[in-house]
Amino acid sequence: MIHVGQADVPLCDGVSRRSFLEAGATAMGLSLPMAMELEAAGAVDPKKQKIKNCITLFLVGSPGHLDTWDMKPDAPADIRGKFKPISTAVPGVQICEHFPRMARMMDQVALIRSLHHNTGASHENGQRWMMTGHDFNAANIQPHMGSVISRIYGQKTSLPASIVLPAKIGNTGTSTPHGQASGYLGTAHAPFFLGSDPAAKNFKVANLEPPKGQTEFRINSRRNLLKQLDAIQRKTETSSTIQRDTAYSRAFNLLTSPKTRKAFDPSQETDKLRDRYGRNTFGQSCLLARRLIENGSRFVTVNHFDTVFNVTCWDMHANGTSLDNTYLDYERHLCPQFDQAFTALIEDLQERGMLEDTVVAVLSEFGRTPKLNNRGGRDHYPPAWTNFFVGGGVKGGQVIGSTDKIGAAPHERPVLPPEVVASVYTAMGIDLETTMMPGPGSRPVRFIDADPIQELFG
Amino acid sequence: MDQKFEGTPKSEIRLEGRKVTRSDVTNDWGLRLQWQVKRDGKVIATPAARIEADYTHPDKAPGKYEIVLQMWKYVNYRKNKQREFIDSKFIEISNTVTYTI
Repeated sequence: MIHVGQADVPLCDGVSRRSFLEAGATAMGLSLPMAMELEAAGAVDPKKQKIKNCITLFLVGSPGHLDTWDMKPDAPADIRGKFKPISTAVPGVQICEHFPRMARMMDQVALIRSLHHNTGASHENGQRWMMTGHDFNAANIQPHMGSVISRIYGQKTSLPASIVLPAKIGNTGTSTPHGQASGYLGTAHAPFFLGSDPAAKNFKVANLEPPKGQTEFRINSRRNLLKQLDAIQRKTETSSTIQRDTAYSRAFNLLTSPKTRKAFDPSQETDKLRDRYGRNTFGQSCLLARRLIENGSRFVTVNHFDTVFNVTCWDMHANGTSLDNTYLDYERHLCPQFDQAFTALIEDLQERGMLEDTVVAVLSEFGRTPKLNNRGGRDHYPPAWTNFFVGGGVKGGQVIGSTDKIGAAPHERPVLPPEVVASVYTAMGIDLETTMMPGPGSRPVRFIDADPIQELFG
Repeated sequence: MDQKFEGTPKSEIRLEGRKVTRSDVTNDWGLRLQWQVKRDGKVIATPAARIEADYTHPDKAPGKYEIVLQMWKYVNYRKNKQREFIDSKFIEISNTVTYTI
């Protein structure tokens, strides 16, 4: 508990205002050790909560809802598009013909078909909404969900609490933030960005590789030197030095621990399983996500693409230049790739007994225009789209909300992005009524202004 | 970061009557997998092959039929003015089987 005026205000379990400020001060100017400081400060007490994990698959560019999970076969041709719907494991629920594996496991999926937001149609707006639950405010940058989880739960093992695969989102149109930073929580809770492609030959984790010429011997020598310096400092300084010492120690462990390196190594898996995920950047990232959760990370984000320009991605404007994705890209590349990796991930989690404790959220920025443009593509459309949840105790086999006959607007049960983010937190075991975040100036603030989607939880 | 695709996918197919059956795909890129059916050298069908491991082409018109398994190979997303891919294409990933009606 912390105190504001005369009132007791709950912060995170076990964190006093004093210890938070101490930890925050210690974090200034540090790099890798920052991510470990809160746990070093005693912020985490996993025994108190039923803590679950989360894997978010973020579909950069955004699939057209009418071409994927909210098909309108009875609409005119220039609205319904080229693909056909297929039946699924849930009677009455149909999805696109190019997701045949997903159709078979629809009894585990909770589709939300009435998502919408009312702000601008830029990718970055959608990214921030769906990864932070907040609209943009340059004066108060909101933290990514993984950063919030890092702040609340801390680290479980030597792996960072929040990891982004395979790379952070880059250029998607405007030069505003993408919602994948730690915002007001400070860099101590920034996600760990892999920065490498797990499908590449000789894949190595860039951020775990010692600088050229730095052998393990030299790293250990530096650790020993640091220990000696800290022993001198400890005689004169406060407990914050000890926290920093612990954080540095764990940073060294992250660099040198065989277990950590193994967690980041997809080649530990059988060829058959690697094939099942798909031997491509997205598939191997999904496999790596499972490995990282299994080894102690709490929140792993897989970005399906890190840009929308000059690559095959979901952003199907069909504009003939740098944004030229079309139905052909969906049919041959995007839908099969997603179907393969997503269903492999769910099956794999289930077979390992991890699905009940891991919520998988498939998120995107917006929908796409109901009417095809004059080049046969679809453009950005925030008024309606579909995302979905699996696992983590979420009730599958249901469709929450609906859109009108042409997919232009929510018809039943409109859902806003903050409700989705609140649902992720709730699924992970966070009590939104009692848990607060240190906001600007270390004021305790509610970190999401919405209720979770109750239907997801039965 | 453009996407990487590891290795080269491979599969074996065999023919029993008109039914073709494929093995699991090794080094599976996870992109569209399809049967390419030709009659007398002309492509007449490209049905999806991902879910079921076997396929029987329904057409019984006389001719020489050739069937091979294909997977989409992504090189880049460039397209020509007719909106077809320039460099990316379907490639054969299996042996070819033939039968005559």
